[in-house]
Amino acid sequence: MSGGVYGGDEVGALVFDIGSFSTRAGYAGEDCPKADFPTSLGVHVEEEGSGEMGTEQETAAGRTFYLDTTALHVPRAGVELISPLKNGMIEDWEAFQAIVDHVYCKHIKSEPSLHPVLMSEAPWNSRAKREKLTELMFEHYNIPAFFLCKTAVLTAFANGRATGLVLDSGATHTTAIPVHDGYVLQQGIVKSPLAGDFITMQCRELFQEMNIDIIPPYMIASKELVREGAPPNWTKKDKLPPVTKSWHTYMCNEVIQDFQASVLQVSDSPYDEQVAAQMPTLHYEMPSGYTTDYGAERLRIPEGLFDPSNVKGLSGNTMLGVGHVVTTSIGMCDIDIRPGLYSSVIVTGGNTLLQGFTERLNRELSQKAPPSMRLKLIASNSSMERRFSPWIGGSILASLGTFQQMWISKQEYEEGGKQSVERKCP
Amino acid sequence: MWPSQASGIQISDEVVKGFQEIRTRHQGSDPNERYKLLVFRVSDDEKFIIVDQEVSLKMKDLKDSEDIFKSIVNVFPTNECRYALYDCTYENKESVKEDLVFIMWAPETAPLKSKMVYASSKGSLRSKLQGLKIEWQVNDLSDIKDTSAFLEKLGGRQSIKSLEGKTL
Repeated sequence: MSGGVYGGDEVGALVFDIGSFSTRAGYAGEDCPKADFPTSLGVHVEEEGSGEMGTEQETAAGRTFYLDTTALHVPRAGVELISPLKNGMIEDWEAFQAIVDHVYCKHIKSEPSLHPVLMSEAPWNSRAKREKLTELMFEHYNIPAFFLCKTAVLTAFANGRATGLVLDSGATHTTAIPVHDGYVLQQGIVKSPLAGDFITMQCRELFQEMNIDIIPPYMIASKELVREGAPPNWTKKDKLPPVTKSWHTYMCNEVIQDFQASVLQVSDSPYDEQVAAQMPTLHYEMPSGYTTDYGAERLRIPEGLFDPSNVKGLSGNTMLGVGHVVTTSIGMCDIDIRPGLYSSVIVTGGNTLLQGFTERLNRELSQKAPPSMRLKLIASNSSMERRFSPWIGGSILASLGTFQQMWISKQEYEEGGKQSVERKCP
Repeated sequence: MWPSQASGIQISDEVVKGFQEIRTRHQGSDPNERYKLLVFRVSDDEKFIIVDQEVSLKMKDLKDSEDIFKSIVNVFPTNECRYALYDCTYENKESVKEDLVFIMWAPETAPLKSKMVYASSKGSLRSKLQGLKIEWQVNDLSDIKDTSAFLEKLGGRQSIKSLEGKTL
């Protein structure tokens, strides 16, 4: 072996999978990530010198970050909520570093210089950002070795396939990514904003129509039991600091997200008002104590994912429903590989955990796919695998002894520069 | 583009040698000693892809088989992944054909680790097995209950008259 190969397999590698919604990080070789917390963070722009030193805050150039589940949920005056990612790619590098610092300091509790790092990246990540990240990891964190792997490739591998169509429906986007022989086919990537955040927005409108106020738990001191449909009877906490709108909205969205997961269900065939009216109602209690039953809405709201034509507020929209995202993507790939993609449609991402999602997708695809195609949808039954599949895949890969020769070693970086990432991590 | 070699697992020389043998049908050798199915697996130390001699099938092993295709698919474990080369004999509308089929065996019932290791090493293996036109990927065990999924790989059920001497 040449001297450039990273040879220190006695210390565990780390795996980072930083998604728009949550960040997963932990040791390679373990079954699930040690850390799993929201990627969004609270940020306070400091005036000179007022640095209260808490345990979970990271300061950088006048900005104080509050991150991880606990610290994020403490109401604080003037703390805005931001995301370091935009369109799945790193946009705010300082905030991104705050996340990485936090993982090392609070979850891994070890020195960055001791562990090789495998990171997942969006399949459409730009060359400039990949190089900048490589530089950051070697120069700032002084890590001994680095590797970047596309989320969709990790997901395909973890499902036993080197070729397949990965349908990833997360918080911000639903994306179809064709993977062929272990490579992403860039020209076939199709994106639609119809995903988890879109459903949250639809629910928000529903609550407005129904005159239901969303009261996040941070505001509530106590509540009384009220009968169904009656106005909630709760008392507000005293001395709440003046929180920002962005932070309050995030807390409201968390309430709605629980509602989404508990109440909504994707209709197994195109939405029909009469069928929906027969839908068994479901009882749901808000944090404020307000309770009511939900019926047809349970099906009506997620319908927009598959059929955006009737969604209010998306006038003249050209957004693609989930089924179309898949067929459009496959249609842009070479005709010879289409059968291989249709026979391995891999469903992943938190939004696909909506009840009935895969059943409906299966139905749509069997109608839209050419009749001669063998169609197969792959969706792990374990919600952990569906949320963490890139992390778990990376964990297995980075723990293989033979993976040593795949890493960009520090020496290779020093000799070849940040461009090494293009050569070693295609 | 070169095939993805994501795992870094190496291909042992015996795999390449086995491929040469089954591809050329090892000219001059006793036909009974020819391989019908050559199975590859990841070695126990996870460093190499090696030939799984114990389960690979030669012509002589299938002499008494009534259903060769069934005997072949029965070789594969239901809870582990494997690769294989299958020297397939079939007849289509034009003639009797002999084709070497690459099999990627990754059943849904296999552990996630096995699936990850085999899928990420497949590119390295395929780069050593040049010139194979037919690849059969098995993930769903229902695909092996009958021959229909396999026949699609050979050009479709309608065009195939017989498989391994069995009229369809």
